[in-house]
Amino acid sequence: MKKRQFFNLLYSVFLLIILSSPAYPESLEKGIESKTSFKRIISLGPSITEQIYLLGAEDKLVGCTIYCKRPKEAEGKEKVGTAVEVNLEKIVNLKPDLILATSLTPPKAIDKLENLGIEVVIFSSPRNFNEICEQFLRLAALVGKKEEAEKVIKEVKAEAYEIKQRVRDLSKPKVLVQVGTKPLWVATKDSFINDFIEFAGGQNLGPAGSGIYSRERVLKQNPDVIIITTMGIVGENEKKLWQRYRAINAVKNNRIYIIDSYKLCSPTPVSFIQTLEELAGILHFDSEE
Amino acid sequence: MKTRLIRWITWVAILTGIFLSISIFSLIIGTSDIPFRKIISVIFAGRGTTEYSILFDIRLPRIILAFAIGGALSLAGVILQGMFRNPLVEPYTLGISGGAALGVCLNIVFHLHRIFGVLTLPMSGFLGAILVIILVYSLSRRKGILKIQGLLLTGVMISFISSSLIMLIMAVSRTEDLHGIVFWIMGSLEEPNWVLIKLAVGVSVFGLVVSYLFCLDLNALSLGEEEALHLGVNIEKTKRLLFIIASLVTGCSVSIAGIIGFVGLVVPHFVRMFIGSDHRILLISSFLCGAAFLILCDTLARTIISPLELPVGVITGILGGSLFVYALIRKQIVLGEK
Repeated sequence: MKKRQFFNLLYSVFLLIILSSPAYPESLEKGIESKTSFKRIISLGPSITEQIYLLGAEDKLVGCTIYCKRPKEAEGKEKVGTAVEVNLEKIVNLKPDLILATSLTPPKAIDKLENLGIEVVIFSSPRNFNEICEQFLRLAALVGKKEEAEKVIKEVKAEAYEIKQRVRDLSKPKVLVQVGTKPLWVATKDSFINDFIEFAGGQNLGPAGSGIYSRERVLKQNPDVIIITTMGIVGENEKKLWQRYRAINAVKNNRIYIIDSYKLCSPTPVSFIQTLEELAGILHFDSEE
Repeated sequence: MKTRLIRWITWVAILTGIFLSISIFSLIIGTSDIPFRKIISVIFAGRGTTEYSILFDIRLPRIILAFAIGGALSLAGVILQGMFRNPLVEPYTLGISGGAALGVCLNIVFHLHRIFGVLTLPMSGFLGAILVIILVYSLSRRKGILKIQGLLLTGVMISFISSSLIMLIMAVSRTEDLHGIVFWIMGSLEEPNWVLIKLAVGVSVFGLVVSYLFCLDLNALSLGEEEALHLGVNIEKTKRLLFIIASLVTGCSVSIAGIIGFVGLVVPHFVRMFIGSDHRILLISSFLCGAAFLILCDTLARTIISPLELPVGVITGILGGSLFVYALIRKQIVLGEK
C-alpha cells in the first residue's frame, strides 16, 4: 500500500515535471555561444525544436525527441528518445556537433555526451518572459539566425508592452492556475506562468517555491478566475470538482477556463504573446477570443 | 565428493559461458546496427570512428557496470537470505536503499552537487547507506548479540521512514529539484565516470572474495543460529561481518546506479532452485547469474522500444518475476509427479 502511494506520487510528480518548468544552473553552460558553425544539431526538448523551426534553422536539425510534434514537419525528423530518456547510441550515430539539452535531460547522459566530445548546451526552463526571450536569442546565436531573432523579439516585446498598457487601469482579478491534480499543484510566483497572469492584468494566488497546494486555502483566498491546464482529459473533471464549491467567485460567475497545457507551459516568444492575448481576454473581457 | 566437485565446476563453466555470451550479445546489439563482421574491423581501426565510440564508450561501460551491480546485488541477496533464513529478504529490505535515496535527495535539495560537483551524488548516497547500516546495526544489538529478527524489523521500519521522508522532501521541494530525485530513484546503468565503474567492479568482486571465505559458516548459519553455534561457528563475528559485507556492496551499487529492484531477490532463488543451496557454489553462481541477468535486462531495456530507453527496473521486474513464477510452477509439477 505504502509503496503504491509512493509510486502514485512519483508518477504525478513525473507528469508535472514534464509539464512544468524546472531550471538548471547556468554555470553548467559554457561560453561557446559565439561559435556559429554548427551544422548537425539535435534538440532534446519540444519547445527548443519548435523555436528552431520558428527561426527557420530546421535544415540543421538532425534529430529530436518523439514529443517534438510542433510544427508538424518536426515529426519527420530522426527520433532520439524522449526529453527524459535519451538514446545515446542513436545520438552518437547521427554524428551531431551540437546537442541542445533541457533541464530534463539526465545529467549523466549530458556528462557522457561531453566526454564523447560533443558540445552540449543546456537550456534551463525559463522562469519569466525575459528568460524566454533571452533563451530564444541564445538559441538563435547558436544556429546562426541572430538578426532574425532580434527582429522577432523586438516585435514580441512591443506587443507585450501594448497588452500591459491595455489592461493597466483595469481591476486586477485574483487568478489561480492549476497545473496538476492529486496532489493539487498550482503555478508558482517564480514561473513564467506568473508573468502570463501579471502581464494580462491579474494577480497570481500561487505560492512561491513548491507548487503543492491545499484546496482549503483556495477556498479561503477565493479566486475570481481559475485556469486549468488540460492534463489530457483530466481538465473537464477538475472543472466539475471546482464547481462543487459554490462559495468561490470563479464558480459563482462561471469563470473556470481550460487552456491547452502546451500554450501555457511551453511557450516560445511568439506563442507567449498569443497565449497572453487569450489570457487578457479571459481575465478582463470574459471571452476566449 | 568428486562428482559434486565436477558438477559444480560444470555449473560455473556453464554460467561463465552464459555470462560471456550475453555480454557479447549485448555489445553487438543496439539501436544502431553494427554488423558483427564490421565489429572486428572497427576494433582494429581503433579510436575515432563513430562505431568505435558506440561500442566502447557507450555499450561497454554499461555492460561492465551491469556486471558489477548485478553481481553485487545477487551476492548481497544470497548472503542476507542465508543469514536471515528468510526467502523474502533482499538487499533493499534493510533500508540501505532508502538511506542512500534519502542522502541523494538531501544532496539535490540543498544543491550540494552544484557546489561540490556531481561526484557528491554517489558519495552522499553512500553516506546515507552507511548511516542507515550503523543505525540498524546498533539498534538491533543487545548486550553484544546481534538479534537477527530485530535487525530485519528495524531495517524494514527504517526503509519505510526513509521513503516517507523522501516523499516529504519531494512534496516541499521546488519543481526543478524534483526531476533529479526522480531520475535517481528510477535507477540507471548509464555512468559517465570510469572511476565509479571501476570502483563498483572492485567492490563487488571484493565482496565476493571475502564472503566466499565465510561460505561454510553461511551453510551452518542457514541451519539456524543455535545449530551453527554447536557446529563451532563464531556466530557473532560471522553475522557482523556478513552483514557489513552485504550492506557495503549494496550501498555501493545503490549509490552508483540508483535503485534497481528485483535482481537481489529473484536471482538467488533461481540459482538455489537449479544448483542447490550449498553456499560454496551458491555465492559464485549467483554472482555470475546476477551479472548475466542484469546485462540481459539492460540490453532489452535499451533495445526493446528503440529509440526509447526503458528504465532497467521495468525489465528486471517483468522478466525476473515471470521467469521465476514459471520456474516455481514447473518445479512443483515435476516434484508432484515424483
